[in-house]
Amino acid sequence: MDLILLGFSTLTAPLVLLTLVIGVVAGMIVGSIPGINDNIAFAVFIPFSFSMPPEQALALMVGVYCAAATGGAIPAIMIKVPGTASSLLTALDGNAMARKGAAGKALSIALTSSVVGGILSSIVLLLFAPSLAQVALRFGYVENFALAILGLSSVVGLLRGAVIKGAIAAVIGLLVANVGFSPVTGFPRYTFDNVNLIEGIPFVPLLVGLFGVAAMLELMVDIVKERHAGTKPSGLPEIGSMRLPGKLIRRLLPIWGGSAAIGNLIGMLPGAGMLMAIFLAYDQAARRFRRRFEGKPGEAEWGEGVPEGIAAPEAANNAVTASSMVPLLSLGIPGNSTSALFIGALAIHGMVPGPLLFTQHGHIAWMIIVAFLAANLIMWPIAYGVIKTVSQTIFAIPKQAMVGVIALLCLMGAYSDGANVFNMWVAVVAGIVAYSMRLAGIPLGPAILGLVLGPQLEASLANSLSISQGNWLVFFDPVSHPISAGMMLVSLALWIVPMLMSRRERASAK
Amino acid sequence: MRKTASFMLFTLMAGALAASAGAEDFPSRDIDLIVPFDPGGAVDTTSRIIAETANKMLTGTEISVVNKSGGGGVVGQTFASKAAADGYTVLAMTSSVVTNPQMKGAGYSVDDFTPVALYSLDPQVIVVPSGSPIQTAEDFMAAAKEKTLNIVVAGVGTSHHMSGLAIERVTDVKFNYVPTKGFGAQVQAVAGGHVDGALWPLGEATAQAENGSVRILTIASESRHSRLPDVPTFQEAGIDIPIWATFRGWSVPKGTPEDVVAKLSGIMRATYEDPGYVKRMKAAGYDPVFRDAAGFKAVVDSYSKLTSVIIEEANLGK
Repeated sequence: MDLILLGFSTLTAPLVLLTLVIGVVAGMIVGSIPGINDNIAFAVFIPFSFSMPPEQALALMVGVYCAAATGGAIPAIMIKVPGTASSLLTALDGNAMARKGAAGKALSIALTSSVVGGILSSIVLLLFAPSLAQVALRFGYVENFALAILGLSSVVGLLRGAVIKGAIAAVIGLLVANVGFSPVTGFPRYTFDNVNLIEGIPFVPLLVGLFGVAAMLELMVDIVKERHAGTKPSGLPEIGSMRLPGKLIRRLLPIWGGSAAIGNLIGMLPGAGMLMAIFLAYDQAARRFRRRFEGKPGEAEWGEGVPEGIAAPEAANNAVTASSMVPLLSLGIPGNSTSALFIGALAIHGMVPGPLLFTQHGHIAWMIIVAFLAANLIMWPIAYGVIKTVSQTIFAIPKQAMVGVIALLCLMGAYSDGANVFNMWVAVVAGIVAYSMRLAGIPLGPAILGLVLGPQLEASLANSLSISQGNWLVFFDPVSHPISAGMMLVSLALWIVPMLMSRRERASAK
Repeated sequence: MRKTASFMLFTLMAGALAASAGAEDFPSRDIDLIVPFDPGGAVDTTSRIIAETANKMLTGTEISVVNKSGGGGVVGQTFASKAAADGYTVLAMTSSVVTNPQMKGAGYSVDDFTPVALYSLDPQVIVVPSGSPIQTAEDFMAAAKEKTLNIVVAGVGTSHHMSGLAIERVTDVKFNYVPTKGFGAQVQAVAGGHVDGALWPLGEATAQAENGSVRILTIASESRHSRLPDVPTFQEAGIDIPIWATFRGWSVPKGTPEDVVAKLSGIMRATYEDPGYVKRMKAAGYDPVFRDAAGFKAVVDSYSKLTSVIIEEANLGK
């Protein structure tokens, strides 16, 4: 407790607090520019951090890290281009709601969900960091494979009726994930002797293309159609009122709790990644929505502007940011590539993350944890301000001009990931593919899930079998791998239960 | 046609002029230090520490770190191999430059680069989980003879994987390699006891050993390390490999004027002699060293000789 207070007093030094605020503002802006993410922001910032005291440097990084995940929702909702990968699912329901004239409400849901998810996760981090870390250590290759299967099973929640098309999309994603050197044999697959494909198709430009370039094409088609019909071109959605009715808040409370819990658990596991948490939370929210609200008067269809569809991924992604600090601070294991940069920042100041950090530099370790709580608290007013001023102005730009702005942002964002021209082509091709998929009615969500989970699925399966000498039953072993066995059963239930229910419904209809 | 030819001649002449001008008052503009990996990794961190220190000494110009990542380093390395040989494009050169052409079909060869200076040598170590019954290097070799141990390496064909293959060549043990991408996931696998051990670079292993999650058994260097006086070398542990170390240094495209190479090497030497730099590198977990152009070339050549045999024998080549 004393140490927590020490962390708190370290954070409340005026300069430290100021850098945290600067970090939040910067993160919000960085997050809301498609293609530019917290990784790139850190790379720019690391040289400055050499000359800063560690407290200030780390406060700044925490601010950027937390706010970037939130800022990503702004363009996702306004123009259906996720600012960061973490808001890719927010783009679906969020943009649909904005197009129905409730952009302010959508932004407000996203913002509030982020803050609530972040705060819940920070509190868990504050109370249980060291003991949770021990749980994370129990995840080996077998558990990671089971987790990937569980993630893949969440595809059920992403599908609405079109099961075949959904399955096709997931398979496309898994196939594309095969490009690059095989992690098991080191053999090149579908690289066509192009060095840019050795590590697979670069992910950030791919996402920028799938969403950004596709959104640009959509806008262009809109404009052309309006010209043909001779109607006055409609503008982008207006932000309008951001008030959330109390009834809606009460309705979203269980979503926030559930999504934050999922984000918390997944965030602790190195290699699982933020996107898996978002997909699982989204799936969980979809199931709840179908049980309680679907088909009732005044309710939109899932994917067409449902509040749960915005709340779940946003609460989950901010929960992940805080909980990815659990293995980092207490074990020295980075949970994702961004939190790995914290190791760099700590190392530059001669500090080694791990159990020793809490004893040797207790004030820094606890300050980081308290900073996550503080960053989420101050994020609400700052984000509100940014939306009401900067975003309001930007999105008042006419649609035609916006097409150019999006194109520029997308190509720049794709290029800046590795400073490589090849990435711009990736974005353009991915955009055309995504737009064609949309025309064919093939959903994008399952494809991205396949893309994200493919490499993990392959590596963890190969390594599990290699260690167990080819024993496939290892995943269901209740004695040595109880976590895996449990997750496998849950995955199985996720597939079977909806089938049984629809059969019973059909039987009772007869 | 004639226009193009004369234009080309003009460019060539201008280039030659620029090159000769560059040799005298080098550096007269900013130097790009190409890091062919993502920000935050070992090469990036050390490069930024060097740039920061060197920039305090340079006047009017500075070294700026440029991350050109992708393709396991090949993208940035290829870019640097094709850059103008004027000393204004420097590659943060790692061991992967040696092996990438043979294994990943990269378009350059190691001879397309002129080594400038070496700043870090990271010897290979064998680690086991701290809860493992294996206490010493002898225990480890005995256990490996009894059964095939599961050993984490960063990936198939990495320097760490090849160090394992090298051990197999000189002893009668066989390992089962568990390629695991990302250092975080590797620590997870070792610290969580999901594998028997790992082949890691000393730099990254040190922090994990200090916080008590792993135990370092033996180190692949000619003499014991000052910070780990109780850890035997590979040769003391009965593994006949005198040294196996990944290296980090600077190199420039082939054909860069010799005096420019010498000037760059001088910048690195001056950086190495700065006490603040040494302190900062050590704090970040790297032992700074300095070898000039010739010394670095010797290190590169010996590594190249060691690995090319293994790549061929293990059929890792493309």
